[in-house]
Amino acid sequence: MAFDVQLRIDDKVVTIELSGELDASTAGEFHQAIGEAAGAGAVELVIRAEQLGHLSSAGLRSLVFARQKMGDGVRIAVIGASEPVARTIRLAGFDHSIDLVDA
Amino acid sequence: MTFRTAGAGRAAGVARTPECGWTIALRIPATIESLAPVSDFVLGLGKQAPLPESSLYRLRLAADELATNIVMHGYRGEPGEITVDGGIDPGDVWVRFQDDAPAFDPRQGMRTPAVDVPLAERPIGGLGVFLALTAVDIFEYQLVAGRNVSVLVVRRPAAE
Repeated sequence: MAFDVQLRIDDKVVTIELSGELDASTAGEFHQAIGEAAGAGAVELVIRAEQLGHLSSAGLRSLVFARQKMGDGVRIAVIGASEPVARTIRLAGFDHSIDLVDA
Repeated sequence: MTFRTAGAGRAAGVARTPECGWTIALRIPATIESLAPVSDFVLGLGKQAPLPESSLYRLRLAADELATNIVMHGYRGEPGEITVDGGIDPGDVWVRFQDDAPAFDPRQGMRTPAVDVPLAERPIGGLGVFLALTAVDIFEYQLVAGRNVSVLVVRRPAAE
């Protein structure tokens, strides 16, 4: 399934909806959306992952980038990740800094 | 995860016929655009086996990370080629990568994530190799006549 990123800025909450396959060839789009989210001065970043079929280390790097750009006070949540996607996030130990919700 | 003894596995048998008749192969340029055909290749192999969804996810993740590693860190953007083949054996499904980048054993690049370090300060090198090596049941690497040969293996569940 082709990768797609939808960005929605609602007051200070930024929602990024991911679908398809997030790997090194598609992570640039996600990276760009995170940059926009950080620029919008968000207090919360919600990443909707219900339709995300695949997550590689390139996607994890984008999450690190998000954590770096958004500042300590900003909550970052990944919502609805599938079992293997959530497993990858936990295996890398990212669930200490990013909330995994409904995963 | 098991590291098979060198010489005991398929990495050593590059010129040897695999254990069963069912194999397919792919030759692709070492570019990031080749990740999609690598994934399609692995998904096709897994469906043919067939592998359970969770095992296929692991094999595909490992293949994706290994291919990315060869493109980004092996050839370092220089032109090159990757040969991918794979097969279905009674006990497992395997995917083998061969490349002519400078000799590099992916196991040497593996870094276990520093989970106690805040994410924003985390050194993230080696994460892809870590995911690849923890995803598969067996990983083999051997330098064969100057070629890097890596094999990813996932076990098939026992037949009912």
